[in-house]
Amino acid sequence: MNDTTRYVIIGNGAAGNEAALHLRQRDPDSRIIMVSAGKLLFLNRYRFPEVLDGVFDWREFLVNPPEYYIKQRIELRRYTWVNHIDPHNRTLEMRHKEKVGYDKLLVASGAGGYLPEYLGEYAPLLHDFNSLRNAMEIRSALPASGGKVLILGGDIKGLDLAHTLVRGGREVIVVASEHLFWPHQIPREESGRYIDALERVGIEVILDHKIASIEKGAKGMRARRVTLDNNHELNADVVMAFYGLMPSLGFMHGAGVDIERGLLVNPQLQTGNEHIWAAGDVCQIWSPEENHYRFYYGWKNVKMMGRIAAINMTGGDEAVDTFKEDRLFINEQDEIDSTFWEYE
Amino acid sequence: MSEGPDRKVYVDEGEDFSSLQAFGRRVVTPVRFSTDPRDIGWVKENVPCQAACPASTNIPAYIHMITEGRVGRSYELNRIANVLPGVLGRICSRPCEDACRHGWPGNGKPVAICHLKRVAADFKPLGHRISEDMFTPTSKRVAVVGAGPAGIAAAYDLTTLGHDVTIYEREEKAGGMLAYGIPAFRLPRDELDVELRNAVRLGVDLKTGVSVGNSEDEVKLGSLLESYDAVLLATGCMAASPLPLETASETTDPVMETPGAEYGLYFLMELHRGLPKTVGRRVAVVGAGFTALDCARVAKRLGAEEVTIHIRTTEEYIPVTKEEIFEAKREGIQILGLRTPVGLLTGPDGKLSGLRFVQNRLGGWRAGGRRQAIPIEHSEFEEPCDTLLLAIGQKTVNDYLDRPLDLDRWGNVRIGDDGMTSVMGLFAAGDYVSGPSTAIEAVGHGRRTALNMDTWLMGHARRKQVVKIEPVEEPLRERHFDFIERQEMPCEPVDKRVEKPGTEVETGLDMEHAREEAKRCYLCYLCYQIDVDRCIYCRACIEVAPRDCIKLVEGVAIKEDGSYGELMETREWDRVGAIWVDNNECIRCGACYKVCPTQCISITKKEMFHQDIGGGA
Repeated sequence: MNDTTRYVIIGNGAAGNEAALHLRQRDPDSRIIMVSAGKLLFLNRYRFPEVLDGVFDWREFLVNPPEYYIKQRIELRRYTWVNHIDPHNRTLEMRHKEKVGYDKLLVASGAGGYLPEYLGEYAPLLHDFNSLRNAMEIRSALPASGGKVLILGGDIKGLDLAHTLVRGGREVIVVASEHLFWPHQIPREESGRYIDALERVGIEVILDHKIASIEKGAKGMRARRVTLDNNHELNADVVMAFYGLMPSLGFMHGAGVDIERGLLVNPQLQTGNEHIWAAGDVCQIWSPEENHYRFYYGWKNVKMMGRIAAINMTGGDEAVDTFKEDRLFINEQDEIDSTFWEYE
Repeated sequence: MSEGPDRKVYVDEGEDFSSLQAFGRRVVTPVRFSTDPRDIGWVKENVPCQAACPASTNIPAYIHMITEGRVGRSYELNRIANVLPGVLGRICSRPCEDACRHGWPGNGKPVAICHLKRVAADFKPLGHRISEDMFTPTSKRVAVVGAGPAGIAAAYDLTTLGHDVTIYEREEKAGGMLAYGIPAFRLPRDELDVELRNAVRLGVDLKTGVSVGNSEDEVKLGSLLESYDAVLLATGCMAASPLPLETASETTDPVMETPGAEYGLYFLMELHRGLPKTVGRRVAVVGAGFTALDCARVAKRLGAEEVTIHIRTTEEYIPVTKEEIFEAKREGIQILGLRTPVGLLTGPDGKLSGLRFVQNRLGGWRAGGRRQAIPIEHSEFEEPCDTLLLAIGQKTVNDYLDRPLDLDRWGNVRIGDDGMTSVMGLFAAGDYVSGPSTAIEAVGHGRRTALNMDTWLMGHARRKQVVKIEPVEEPLRERHFDFIERQEMPCEPVDKRVEKPGTEVETGLDMEHAREEAKRCYLCYLCYQIDVDRCIYCRACIEVAPRDCIKLVEGVAIKEDGSYGELMETREWDRVGAIWVDNNECIRCGACYKVCPTQCISITKKEMFHQDIGGGA
């Protein structure tokens, strides 16, 4: 038996990698295992819109070079899923039936796009934007130039992509829902100036209408036909849903930790189980100032959580500053931007 | 099986049948009925769905009948345990599926047991006839108060046992919460009425619109006790539980006094009595059970634009099926967790304008896998709404009693092991005893109480629990059945649901998908055993086994009831005492059975049910 600590990190995103970096610094002799569902290494998702401008090589998007993992002695297990966590024996039960033990576990599995239940049946007709492959599929679904994209919901991620698309000469229509500007909640009377800003750059915004159906387009027409509740029809090459994020947590049920929408953690990012921490989009942090569990999204927040989790997992005591002001603003390019969404 | 003797020999318990066996052939055990606690213990341990079912439905048997296409028989097998299969096939809370071995970690999703029950009811052949085993009349008279699931199930059993039964029901129709609580889009009324009718038509005198109580025009409980040999109270939980709101006191209930606020239970009951009900634009539903979900979905159908369900803990811990939550969300209903309402807000007109909540955090575990919610101090917040439907629970009503009964602190009546209350000849069943539970628990409890009543009335037991042990000569399942995915329930499109509020949302599996689903069942009632005396330890079965299901053991723990418990595995050959099929791992694929060179692996079917003493099976 040796007494090196075995850290297991579920997720190979911003939070997980930041945590791994700090874990290695603070505990040089430890064993660090990262479990990732993706086939590729850690890619910078913020740059995926570049695929639409013709950047196809995945290496372009690497945050760290492949040697990094060897140098840092991080055992990265790609294309691997966790089925279940056994908190008593401190093991992960993997989909391929392997059991992986841990001393301290960090859940940084992130979040996927939330699709409202009433749109669930149309999921096969929608394009995702979660991976490089998704981005490439969108690129191939669009004509070489021009093309029309329908963005449903209209959260900040979607609006960010909408700007990229418009800049690339694509036509973009946003069918707004109550998730417009998510995660910001903009009162109706203030939303006008942001909607104006969208329209100034050429993004059409449809307000107050729900989706009645999504179908494949007829031959010779664009690939998708969307009908609104006023029977108005919209044709587009690509339809995407942007209704905010939903933590990827299915495997955590039965692990003895508390879950509301995300994993409930204290400001030190520890769950109810003393051996399990969480960081990133997956966790819902108790904010003592607001008496409320809340999410903190975006690259900067997520990286900060990764760092704090690593510090606390190695015996430190640091808390997330839960009193954060988030705001929506219009930047120098006359585009909508968010303090949440600032990159580096 | 060509060499297998084609005989099913029925023998009484204890009879020596060793002469019927022959060397060199598969040893075929005759069909027998056992009351041995070890056999009963085996079924309870190894058929988790049947053990979890409050009515002890023989689930593998009816599912296997669907695989074979014998849907009528499947319906009858259901009806043996539960007189309302078509109803429970729609609205059951499905404790069986939570227990299903197919849903254990690594095995995939549980078998859609409930959907298949509905298939048995929907696709039984046209002109299907129900067969009833009737005892001769006993000339004993029994009164049942309440025609809900517990009352109906008990009345049916008491009738088949030969007693004359009268049901007193206060509402105009029978069915209790099934008819007055559950909306028609979950349980179509024609389905309910047919099965209720079948349950009472053997001779039950159903008196609807007659209430038992203390006022002048009501029937007195005392007079029932005088004129009947036994009385069963199955009056359920017909009062809504109040919420401790800031302004509530002993005498005032703000929910009853504020226009716009209402109890979900009374809202649904009045709706189903045919009263016109309306809701505002924004509806807040408080509660986490089926009633809360039903209220929210009804509100949506009545034209509410924004319907939100507020729960104290989180979605993971609420006692409703995941499918029901999903369908509610598809209809546009939002579920918000970790909040408890503490006060009602009213506008200048005195009408409800919103709710004040306190934020909760999750606390310790409660019974039944639920969680406690602990309010956080100084975390109050407000949310606007026009209508409040409060559905946080139900409790018993006891003001109709004309004599003191022994009640527990929740007002539920206490009964002894024989099902009798503190008054001689007065029995009780269903939610009236257990507090608010589910339809299947009420049916199960109603039936158990009917047997207890019969024993008390007749002075001796006339039905007993037996295990029928029957040899099976071929594996009834194949390996590839393991790869079939769960067949999900097809549903009406969301826009149609609001257009026609009475349309049943779940449209039901068709026969083709039902058969696929039925194949998924592991048929846990099949017991694979290896005859150690004839085993030559060739390991052929271990080699061919698809999983770690055949084990070398040095011993087996014996449980209190004498049945086998945990296996003590070994890897050392000199310690192997036996080679054993682990029922927890076995998927009944039959691979071992087919490969065994000495044919020492046997399959027996073990079915547990109640058998009439002195009668046939």
